[in-house]
Amino acid sequence: MKFFKNIYYNIIKYKFLLSQLVIRDFKIKYKRSVLGVLWSLLYPLLMMAVMALVFSHMFKFSMEGVNYLVYLMSGLVVFNYFSEATNSAMTSITGNSSLINKVYIPKYIFPVAKCLFVGINFVLSLIPLLLIILISGDAAAGTKCYINIYYLLLPFIYVCMFMFTLGVSYILSTIAVFLRDMIYIWGILLTILNYFTPIFYSITILPTWLQNIFKFNPLYLYINATREIVLFSRMPSPLYLLACFLSGFIVMIIGMAVFRKKQNKFIYYL
Amino acid sequence: MIDIKNVGMKFNLGVEKDNSLKMTFIRLFDRKKRIKKSDFWALKDVSFHVDRGDVVGLIGSNGAGKSTLLKVVSGVLKPTEGSVEVGGAISPMIELGAGFDGDLTARENIFLNGAILGYSKEFLLEKFDEIVEFSELRDFLDVPVKNFSSGMVAKLAFSISTVVDPEILIVDEILSVGDIKFQEKSKNKMMSMIKGGTTVLYVSHSLESIKELCNKVVWLDKGKIVKIGDPIEVCNEYYDKQLKGKS
Repeated sequence: MKFFKNIYYNIIKYKFLLSQLVIRDFKIKYKRSVLGVLWSLLYPLLMMAVMALVFSHMFKFSMEGVNYLVYLMSGLVVFNYFSEATNSAMTSITGNSSLINKVYIPKYIFPVAKCLFVGINFVLSLIPLLLIILISGDAAAGTKCYINIYYLLLPFIYVCMFMFTLGVSYILSTIAVFLRDMIYIWGILLTILNYFTPIFYSITILPTWLQNIFKFNPLYLYINATREIVLFSRMPSPLYLLACFLSGFIVMIIGMAVFRKKQNKFIYYL
Repeated sequence: MIDIKNVGMKFNLGVEKDNSLKMTFIRLFDRKKRIKKSDFWALKDVSFHVDRGDVVGLIGSNGAGKSTLLKVVSGVLKPTEGSVEVGGAISPMIELGAGFDGDLTARENIFLNGAILGYSKEFLLEKFDEIVEFSELRDFLDVPVKNFSSGMVAKLAFSISTVVDPEILIVDEILSVGDIKFQEKSKNKMMSMIKGGTTVLYVSHSLESIKELCNKVVWLDKGKIVKIGDPIEVCNEYYDKQLKGKS
């Protein structure tokens, strides 16, 4: 309990620093571009357009009675968030080494700042997703998606996703301090994970035993829960939501524990 | 106020350079390739006490452990052994401008660096004009800091870190900042802080300014305390020793 109390006080104390770090990243990202913040909307939209073109027109992926475009995009936004956030959070400690070496700042703030910063982009990328949900699909073929009451559950699912991402980020940033090679290894692992998460295909095309393994992938949990709501206007079962929460929460706690245990040694390796 | 007890700080000089996968693997299988641990004690058995309102000067040749000691006190480094107890809010000025981001403007950097130093938003909004005024950089507020000269960066950084009245101020060789006018101004600022009862830890190679500002001097050599005491006495002895060592 004391542990959580400490976290709470630290959040209050360093709230301003956290916001400044996020703002810094945001400003730097778009500083030199002509379109600026507009890119945050445009980029996911264009990426989605490319993916949609590739998968639904070139490869002719499709699913009976399912809006494939929404199916693809709802998975893609989650996976993109995870991959972008973990990638940038991983180098957040090594990248801020000059600062960590000179001023006392709680180090755990850097991965959080990165996950939040990418989180802003994630939220912005939900706007193009919403557009696709509204305009795509064909009511006659039963592929039209409708906004429904269960959308209120989406923030909960995305918070779980955030906790999971944060936990993984903590572990990765710790490893990256001691082993810089992790940056490249993670790039490869992410590519593998990309294909092992049912984003552009349906899990049902796999053999049953493989399906059962895939269901342990927390990212799949979040994606699947989102799809239940967005595609089928169904509420994910409470047990399923609990699994979402626990997977995120446990990974976050493990990540924090790993980070905490090693953080005093960081400075010798930076 | 600050209680430093038997502090030792060990660095592992050998580990630094090869934390790559290849070397980790090689070391795993080949015992000979394991780096011989070259322990380096940057500080060893350092103890002293600083009272409220003290202005303590740290002197010693390069690599004597002065900056390491400041880092230990400010919490950046955890001592390998011994303990440091600090009673009060610290404003570290260890290296000016460490928290600046070159791509951001001076205005944005004031907020970023202020946040890094632990100021609140309300405080910064209130003191913003004071910072700008002191730094003499009003005309350059919206210029990215990367286009600043190093003197301008230092002026801005000094103005941000001294806008508070901290209980403990940690200063590492910064009074040589900026042009003569600004040097004088920053010295006056330091003086007024000292008069206001701020406890100061001050590292400098300028024995003159140490004698002028401090009421206590700690002389470090190779991580150990050589002498603690009256500024003039210790500084003179240090000066004699240094020059004798050279000839």
